[in-house]
Amino acid sequence: MHRFFARFVSLFRGEDAERELAREIESHLALLQEKFERGGLAPLEARLAARRAYGGVEQAKELHREVRSFVWLEHLAKDIRYGWRSLLRTPGFTAVAVTALALGIGANTAIFSVVNTVLLQPLAYKEADRLVTVLHNGTGPVATANYIDWRDQSHSFEAMGAAAYWSSNLSNTDPSNSNPAERVLGLKVTQNLLPLLGIEPLLGRLFIPGEDQEGSEHEVILSYRLWQRRFNRDPNVLGRPITLNGEAYTVVGVMPPAFRFAPFWATHAELWAPDAFGNTIHDRGGNHLRVFARLKPGVTSKQAQADMATIAARLEKQYPATNRAVMVRPLKENVVGKIETPLLMLLGAVGFVLLIACANVAHMLLARTSDRQKEIAVRTALGAGRTRIISQFLTESLLLAAVGATLGLLLALWGTKALVALSPAYIPRVETVGMDGRVVLFLLAVTVVTAVLFGLAPALHATSGNLSGALKEGGRGDSDGIGHNRLRSFLVASEFALAFILLIGAGLMIRSFFALQSVDPGFNPHNVLSMVVSVAGSKEEAPARRAIFYRQLLQRVRALPGVASAGAINHLPLAGDMWDRGFLIEGRPKPQPDAWPVGIYRIVMPGYFDTMRLPVRRGRALTDSDDARAPGVVIINERAAKRYWPGQDPVGKHIAIDPGKTDLPVWLSVIGVVANAKQEDWAAEPYPEMYLAALQNRDFLGESAESIRAHMTYITLVLRTVGNPADMVSAVKNTVWSFDRNLPISDVATMDRVVADATAQPRFEMLLLGMFAAVALALAAVGIYGVMSYSVARRTREIGIRISLGAGRADVLRMVMRQGMLQALAGATVGVVSALLLSQLMAKMLYGVRPSDPVTFGGVAVILGLAALLATCVPARKATRIEPILALRNE
Amino acid sequence: MPSEDADRIVVLQGTLDLIVLRMLETMGPQHAYAIATRLEQLSGNLLHLNQGTLYPALVRLEQQRRIKGVWGKTESNREAKFYAITKAGQKALAGEMRRWRRMSGLVEKLLTEGA
Repeated sequence: MHRFFARFVSLFRGEDAERELAREIESHLALLQEKFERGGLAPLEARLAARRAYGGVEQAKELHREVRSFVWLEHLAKDIRYGWRSLLRTPGFTAVAVTALALGIGANTAIFSVVNTVLLQPLAYKEADRLVTVLHNGTGPVATANYIDWRDQSHSFEAMGAAAYWSSNLSNTDPSNSNPAERVLGLKVTQNLLPLLGIEPLLGRLFIPGEDQEGSEHEVILSYRLWQRRFNRDPNVLGRPITLNGEAYTVVGVMPPAFRFAPFWATHAELWAPDAFGNTIHDRGGNHLRVFARLKPGVTSKQAQADMATIAARLEKQYPATNRAVMVRPLKENVVGKIETPLLMLLGAVGFVLLIACANVAHMLLARTSDRQKEIAVRTALGAGRTRIISQFLTESLLLAAVGATLGLLLALWGTKALVALSPAYIPRVETVGMDGRVVLFLLAVTVVTAVLFGLAPALHATSGNLSGALKEGGRGDSDGIGHNRLRSFLVASEFALAFILLIGAGLMIRSFFALQSVDPGFNPHNVLSMVVSVAGSKEEAPARRAIFYRQLLQRVRALPGVASAGAINHLPLAGDMWDRGFLIEGRPKPQPDAWPVGIYRIVMPGYFDTMRLPVRRGRALTDSDDARAPGVVIINERAAKRYWPGQDPVGKHIAIDPGKTDLPVWLSVIGVVANAKQEDWAAEPYPEMYLAALQNRDFLGESAESIRAHMTYITLVLRTVGNPADMVSAVKNTVWSFDRNLPISDVATMDRVVADATAQPRFEMLLLGMFAAVALALAAVGIYGVMSYSVARRTREIGIRISLGAGRADVLRMVMRQGMLQALAGATVGVVSALLLSQLMAKMLYGVRPSDPVTFGGVAVILGLAALLATCVPARKATRIEPILALRNE
Repeated sequence: MPSEDADRIVVLQGTLDLIVLRMLETMGPQHAYAIATRLEQLSGNLLHLNQGTLYPALVRLEQQRRIKGVWGKTESNREAKFYAITKAGQKALAGEMRRWRRMSGLVEKLLTEGA
C-alpha cells in the first residue's frame, strides 16, 4: 500500500517533511495576511487575524504529523531522547535506581539460568521424556534375576537396560606416557543400555548384541574426557587394547563430549563395559543394578507403573521378600528431584529482592515526579495528552530498566560463573549452565515487567494532579495529596513485608545450618587425611599378598614423621559407598526372609577407631592379633546394640553375616560397641552398623568368589596427623608407591573436607538465601530512609509552623518516628503472616528447626525493627533541627 | 475543543477528502489557501473549518497518490504549493462520489420515511 510505504519513508525523512510543512504553512499564512490587509487591516493586525483564521499552528502541525507518519514511533524516539536527557540531568537518582535494578535483575537472571539448565531443559538424551528408571522405592538398586524377569515380562517399554557400578584400575601400558595408573569410575552395562539412550558415539560404535555374553564382554567405550586425558584424543584408539583391573579390554568407541551417564548416580563414570552378569543371574537378593527403560511411544509412566506392579506382585508371590515397592519414575525426576525445591525457593527469593528493588525505584520516581509537576503541567498545557505523558514516563522507566538490565546481564554472567563455582557437586548438570534463548527472553520479560511495576504508579499519579495549581505554586506543593502518601506507605510496607519473608527464609536456613554444624558425627574429623589405594591389576592383588601389603602399608605410614596414627576401612563414612547385609543372631530362631536383622557393613583394619577418635563404648577395638588364625570378631555401633540387644550387653554374643544359600553360618563374636558414626546422609539418624576385621575377611583378602572380589580391591587409608593433614599428602603417596609405582591413589581428601561436602547443600542454600536477605534488608532500609527524608523535606514548612507554634523537638521527633515505624510495622505484620505460610514450603529443607521457629521470627522482627528505627531516626532528627524562620522563608 | 456555533457544520470525517478532490477536479491545480477560501465561499460560511485542518487531508491524499503537490507562484508572486488531481485521484473520486450519493440518499430516505 502506497500510504503505508509513504508513512514509513516519512519516518526517516521527518526533517524534510517538517521543513516543507513549515514552508507551506508560512505561505498559507502570508496569503491569508494579504487578504486581511486588502480588507484594510494594518499588517500586524492582519497577521494576527491570519493566525486566528488558520487555527493553532502547532496543533495543525501535530495533526499533520499524525497523518503523515507513524507518529507513535516518532514519539517513542523522541521520548527516548528526552528520557535519556532527563535521566542524565539527575545522575544521583539514576545511579541509585540503576544499581538497585541491576542487582535485582542480575540476581534473577543468574538464578534463572541455573533453573533453566538444571530444571527446565530436557536431559541430553534422545526423546528424554520417554526415559524412566525402574527401581525399588524409586531409587534403590535391583537384583539381576529380578531385572531379567522385568525386562522379559513387561509390555510398556521399548527397551529396558541396567547398569552396575564398576571401579576399575586403568594401568599405564604406554611407555612414552608417564601418567601413573589411575582408578577410573566406570559402569558395567547391558548391551542395550547405551543404544536405548539414543546418543551416537563420536568414534567407533556402541555395543552390539552378543557382546554382553560371558567371554566376549571385554570391550570398552570411553568418555570424551578420559579419551582426552589418557589418550591425547588419538583417533587410532579404536581397537587398541587397554588394561583394566589387570585384564585386557578393547576400545570400541568414544562418546561425544557432552555425554554423561548415569545422570543421578555414578555421575562421573568415564568408561562403560558390557556386563555379562556371570553367576549373579539367579540372584534375587544382591541389589546392585540400576534399571533404565524407554517407554513405548504413547505409554505413560503411570501405565508402565501399573504394568510393573502386576509383574512385581506375581514375582513376589513366587519369591517372597523380593520385588518390593517397584517404582517406575521419569528419569528426570530422579535427576532433579532433590534440587527442585531449593532452586525454586531461591528463584522466589530473588523475585522478592527484585520486587523490593522495584518498590524502591517506584518511590524514588514518585518523589521525582512530584518535583516535576511543573514540567508536566507545562507539557499538558502545550497539548500533550495524558496518555502521551504517561507513555513518556513509562519510556523513562523502561530506559532505567534497560540500563539496569544491561548491567544486570553483566552481573548475571559473572554471578552464574560464581554460582557454578560455589555450587556443590550435588546439583546435576550445573557445569553446563549458561545463557540461551530462554534466559534472554526471561531477561527481556523481567525488564519490561519491572519497568511497568515501578513506573506505572508514579506515572498515573503524576498525571492525575491539578495542573493550574501546580503551575501557580511554582511546582512545589506544601504537602502531597493523600493518595501520594498512601501509595508511598504502601510501597514501604510491602518492602518490609517482603524483606521480612526473605529474612525469615534466611534465618531458618542459618538456624538449620548451625543445627547441622553442631551435629556430632561420632568421630573427630579434624587433622585426618584419607585416600583410596587400589590394588586391582597390580601384583599386590594376589590373595596371598593382600594381607601382607595392607599390613605393611599401615606400618610404613605410621612410621612417617607427622603421622600420629593410621588405620583403614573399605568405605569411608559420608564419602564412600554404603552396603548393608542381613545377619543371624545366635540362639534366636531363624527369621522370616524379610525380617532379618540388617546392618551397614564395613571392613576395617586395626587402628581405624583410634585414628577417627570413634570412641569404644564397651568391650575393645580391633588389634593386629585379630587375624585369619584368631576367632572371628565383629564390632557393632550403639544403634545396633540398642536395636537388637535392648537392655542387654551385646559383647560376647555371636552373630553370623547372611551366608547365602550354600554356606553354613560363620559365627563371629561381638567384641565391642562403638559410638554411632554418620553414615551417608549428614542429617539422618545412623542405622545399625557392623565393622568386620579386614584381616579375617576372605572376600576382602581376595580368597573367595570372583564377583565379590572385584568390589574388594581397594582400601581407604585414614591417618591422623600432628600438623596440617594436607601437608602429608605427597609423603603418604610416596609411601604407597614405594611398594608399586602402578598402584592408583584416588579420592584424596581431609576428613574436614568430607564433612564440609556432606553439608554443602544446606551451606550453599544458606549462603545464597542469606545474601539475598541482606540485600533485601539493605534495600528496605534505604527505602524507608528515602521516604522519610523526602517526607520531612516536603513538610519542612509544616514542621516549622508546628515548632513556631510551640511544639517541642521531642514532639516532632515522635511524630516523624511514629509515621515511619507505623509503615514498617504494617509491613512486618503482613510479613509475619506470609512468612508463616511460606516457610511451610521449606520444611523439607530444614534440620532441627521448625518452619515457625519463634526464635527466628523474633530475631528477624528485632533486626527489621532496628533497621527501620535507624532509617527513620536520621530524617527525624533532621526534622527536629528545622529552624522555623528559615523554613518559612525557604518556601 | 473550542465551542462551535450551533448552525455551523463540522466537516464529517472523511468527507473533506472527497470535497478537496472534487474541487481540484473542477478548478484545476490550487494551493491550500485557495482551497480553504473556496470552501468557505461555496458553503456560504456554513461550513466552518480552521484552515490548518486542511493539511492532514492534503498529506493523506498525497500519500495515497490521488493528488500531487508542486511548488509554484501565486498571482501576487508568492510561492505556494499547488495541488493537482492525478489519474488515480480522478478514478477514486468517481468511486467515492457514487458511494457518497448512495449513502446520502439512503440516510435521507431513512430520515424521512423511517419515522
